Amino acid sequence: MSTDQDYKYIGKGISRLDGMEKVTGSAQFVHDMSLPGMLYGKTVKSPHACARIVSIDISEAEKTPGVRAVLTGRELPYKVGIYMIDKNILADGVARYQGEPVVAVTAESELAAEEACAKVKIVWEELPAVLDPRQGLAPDAPLVHPELASYRYMKGVFLPQPGTNISHHQKIRKGDAKKALEHADLVWEAKFYNPPVQHVAMETHTCISQALPGSHVKIWTSAQSPFTVRNLFSACFGIPHQNIRVHIPYVGGGFGGKAGIHLEPLAYLLSKKAGGHPVKLTMTREEEFGTIPSRQGLHSQFTTGATREGKIVSLIAQYIWDAGAYADYGVNVGRAASYSGAGPYEVANCHIDSLVVYTNKVFGTAYRGFGHLEVLWGIERNMDIGARRLGLDPVEFRRRNVLRPGAQTITGEIISEHTGRIDLCLEKVAEEIGWSGIQTEEERVRAMAGGKVRGKGVALLHKAPAMPVFTSSAALLKFNENGSVDLLTSITDYGQGTYTALAQCAAEELKVPIERIHVPWESDTAMTPHDWQTVASRGAFMGCKAVIAAARDALQQIKETAAQVLRAPVEELVCQDEEVYVAHRPDERLSYREVVMGYSYANGNSIGGPVIGRGHYIAQGLTHLDLETGQGLPALDWTYGAHGAEIEVDLETGEITVLNLATALDVGQVLNSQSLRGQIIGGVVQGLGSALLEEFRFSPQGRLLNAGFVDYKIPTSKDLPRKMSQHTILTKQLDGPYGARGVAEHPMISVPGAIGNALYDALGIDFFELPLNAERVWLGIQQKRMASDEQSR
Amino acid sequence: MKPFQYRKPLSLAEALEALEEENTRILAGGSDLLVEMREGKSHPERIVDVKAIPELACFSIGEDGIIIGGRVTLRQIAESALLQKRCPLLVDAARTVATPQVRNRATLVGNLCTASPAADMAPPLFVLGGVVVVASKEGEQNIPIQSFFTGPKKNCLQPGQLVLRLEIPLLSPGRGVFLKKARVRGHDLATINLAGWVNPRDGAMRVCIGACGPTPVLLAGGDELFRGASGREKLIDGLATLAQAQIAPIDDLRASAAYRRGLVAVFLRRMTRVLFPEEGGWPSA
Amino acid sequence: MLDETPHYTISVEVNGITYTEKVPAQMTLLQFLRQKLYLTGAKEGCGVGECGACTVLLDGRAVDACLVLAVEADEASVRTVEGEGRDGELTLLQRAFIEHGAVQCGFCTSGILLSAQGLLESNPHPDREEIIEAISGNLCRCTGYVQILEAIEAVARNGEELG
Repeated sequence: MSTDQDYKYIGKGISRLDGMEKVTGSAQFVHDMSLPGMLYGKTVKSPHACARIVSIDISEAEKTPGVRAVLTGRELPYKVGIYMIDKNILADGVARYQGEPVVAVTAESELAAEEACAKVKIVWEELPAVLDPRQGLAPDAPLVHPELASYRYMKGVFLPQPGTNISHHQKIRKGDAKKALEHADLVWEAKFYNPPVQHVAMETHTCISQALPGSHVKIWTSAQSPFTVRNLFSACFGIPHQNIRVHIPYVGGGFGGKAGIHLEPLAYLLSKKAGGHPVKLTMTREEEFGTIPSRQGLHSQFTTGATREGKIVSLIAQYIWDAGAYADYGVNVGRAASYSGAGPYEVANCHIDSLVVYTNKVFGTAYRGFGHLEVLWGIERNMDIGARRLGLDPVEFRRRNVLRPGAQTITGEIISEHTGRIDLCLEKVAEEIGWSGIQTEEERVRAMAGGKVRGKGVALLHKAPAMPVFTSSAALLKFNENGSVDLLTSITDYGQGTYTALAQCAAEELKVPIERIHVPWESDTAMTPHDWQTVASRGAFMGCKAVIAAARDALQQIKETAAQVLRAPVEELVCQDEEVYVAHRPDERLSYREVVMGYSYANGNSIGGPVIGRGHYIAQGLTHLDLETGQGLPALDWTYGAHGAEIEVDLETGEITVLNLATALDVGQVLNSQSLRGQIIGGVVQGLGSALLEEFRFSPQGRLLNAGFVDYKIPTSKDLPRKMSQHTILTKQLDGPYGARGVAEHPMISVPGAIGNALYDALGIDFFELPLNAERVWLGIQQKRMASDEQSR
Repeated sequence: MKPFQYRKPLSLAEALEALEEENTRILAGGSDLLVEMREGKSHPERIVDVKAIPELACFSIGEDGIIIGGRVTLRQIAESALLQKRCPLLVDAARTVATPQVRNRATLVGNLCTASPAADMAPPLFVLGGVVVVASKEGEQNIPIQSFFTGPKKNCLQPGQLVLRLEIPLLSPGRGVFLKKARVRGHDLATINLAGWVNPRDGAMRVCIGACGPTPVLLAGGDELFRGASGREKLIDGLATLAQAQIAPIDDLRASAAYRRGLVAVFLRRMTRVLFPEEGGWPSA
Repeated sequence: MLDETPHYTISVEVNGITYTEKVPAQMTLLQFLRQKLYLTGAKEGCGVGECGACTVLLDGRAVDACLVLAVEADEASVRTVEGEGRDGELTLLQRAFIEHGAVQCGFCTSGILLSAQGLLESNPHPDREEIIEAISGNLCRCTGYVQILEAIEAVARNGEELG
């Protein structure tokens, strides 16, 4: 088995390829783009959570100087969606969330477009809104989508329930959970809540679409997946794929929020109505919060049964997702989080019902973790509660239940020695925070005398990519005259550093210096080869496999030409340091440069041709999940991890200071140590945002109250833990590139769980809702104090 | 933002003339005005940039007091070595406002004119007895800072008036402390803020609490309480009672009234313990 | 109601070059840089001075360009990220950002570079607290700030001439 010392580039902290462009400000984002004749788009949005459009008067708006076109929903007979085709491009007839675009304007300047929008007159009739998914499940609840039965959707994967607000019902049925509960020594119940939050990428959603003659379309978009934009666009408008060209240049962050299709169809329709001029549609930060989709909220409920010895025998979980007004990715979040929905534990009997429920709020989409942060908040808190009831140390309780080789997951997959070592992740973080068990109440009381208390907690995580069984990546390695290589990919590097990792693989396989590998930044559906999406922590895994395959293909082509010139069989040729030579006669050699454009003999005869390495990779052996039981093989790879947290709580204000946050992840093989560290730290800090700060606040009428940085706070440079550490476990993934597995989402997933568990250790108080902001903690402290005052009376 | 006319008068007279016109706003640092305009809350037809008016440039600390002109930025206050020595209370507060970028532009006077009940510079100025010096065509007027704030984001200025400077009589010798609690350690509006000032020799004590009412609340009866208190802990109890009776916090997006009341009690205690570090050695009245 | 948008002639030095342009009063310095001068390094992340993505140096001080009117920059000197480094040479800070992994998506990078540059020019050897304070007005969602702080610290430790 190769070790890091054997690799020239793999595992090293190679500086990212695009550093120069970004530090000089020359990297061009769609945010920065301007095209000749370009117009600007603006929208009028619904002020109500649920309301019927009685009338729209655009006459004054159309007359505004500079305005070229105004669109309303009525003139757009198109529906769009990823798995459920349930969304109009502009609200037609009814608006389903406050912030939903209703009218769109395009004009010569943003100012003119804004002025026109201000002149649009809409008469509304407010309708009863569903603002809580639990109420949305009541039999007499208003229906967010009364026509659910008529929508097209991905059959065989999703189960919408017409006549209700349920867009999908995912079931996991392993064993007989109810029966197993009856035989458990201990049963406990707990409920948890995650509020909706926003990705807050620094570049807001923005795109330029142009409607060209002959139903041709050009799109430049700040997005994660050019082929998904193209594919969904094609499905929506019935335009053939080859007529739609999608370009993605530099992207200022995505985190899943830019995974699907968002503004591109509307910008296109504006362009079409405005005579084919390119139209740029950019979200303001306020629109980014209120119009663009979010991470959906979750109410989770668990009933768990265990033996006296601490072995979980049964888990019944109910997940009710507050998915907002449209299905988007939300339906799949509800599905995918379920198959991880018992946590990284061996649970012999497991029933999960995951209900994705429509509500009249901004809708949920993909967000780093794809439901796993939300689900694991509850699972990991539930584990600590169970440990307490059993009289067991929480770390020990986990040791007794984590998935080990030979164990079966809740979808029936058997874990092997190569799947990963969740147990080592757990031990590592416990050691890093100096775990010594939960404090007793006496110890707490003593500590409280000082006004501040400390606590420690751990939480585990696991995730596999949530992706269709046919997911694939392709890569091309195109040589240049000087022997350098253009690496063509449609994976999007929106900060993770994937392009650098791909280049490292190419350099490693092709035996060339990494400086010779060039990754043209822009992906273009007409020029760069197909890739499914850059989501799900599968980009490096599948992209690198495709690049490795492409490199081997290129080397084969080089060798075939060289074999003729050197008059040696292909099998006896070796490639090294940009040269190909005969193994047993190394003086007989050619440089790549002599071969990669074809080879010319002295007399002029030429053979071979431009070398273009082609590679692709498709996930091997994945299966659909059974619709009734959820059994199947959905996972490309499982990445396991753990967080350990030590916190200090100011008892008087409720403020939490994170003293130490340790993260361990079984990555299999480090591809780039610098990017990995950046991903882990970035993910942990984003996780702290979810744990301590972030939530959407709605008015009783469903209006978003904190649609801006003034009242939606994310961590700043001053909000970092005092100490953070990142640790890797290296159980090689047999089919991963160099043994690596995905790690992009994982660093944020169980941060809230670790903090929540540490908070119990510190205060002796269970918290069930996020975020754990100072006021909530303070309130908990007051309530405990009052309760104990009551008791002592 | 909608179009408007921009003027940058070079003299006070020219500025006052310009301010007579309707629908005119004053531009100093711009960090509040431009945000209001961008959010569509304000559509002035005319903007008067006051940064070239000589009378607004003063910034001095002397034996008889501190003068901070209308152009002086929060950064200048935060970085003033002399102020750090003579009146650190102002420096401490200035350092907590917004971000470094905003502090490089925002003016103290502008912050006061916005008159947010949570204005970080307000509690120090209230306890120091700041006076707002206002000019109009009729001449100059001195307005005590408590009268300057008239309601949430409302000040007492009339059209045609321009704040020239803030004056602070230098109280000798006293000490003060400023405390602020926000939702994050990074930049944020105050959940609550407060300033305390004590001059034991004269038996003077002033406390002002922000973000707990329509304007910052200068506690009435601070001096008497201080003079009558038999010890630090008694003073803390008395301040707590006084404060809870005089503040009127509301439930809003940032915090509940109950949490604010809880924080006020905590921070009054912390403030007092900073002002009087030892329990024993209580100054006699 | 104004019939015609008033325009004003301003003379601004940007990255060492003086530009004389006519601008409407409501144009911000950020819009001026991006739309009139095509210097798109400074970005709009929020437009209200909360995120720092538009940070530039105005007369040597870090400011949010979205909160400055272009007319206010008349006679002033502005530095944007495009002006950092001479003749294609990167500054110490830019090189440190690349070497320390301080860049991920890059959208906040221009703003943070200038906040840091502004700090180092007035304080060549800041400690970690001072660095944290100097970039506290710059939001980053990707990096978690640590590698950014390490990059700035690396330059602060050496404290030689800065680009």
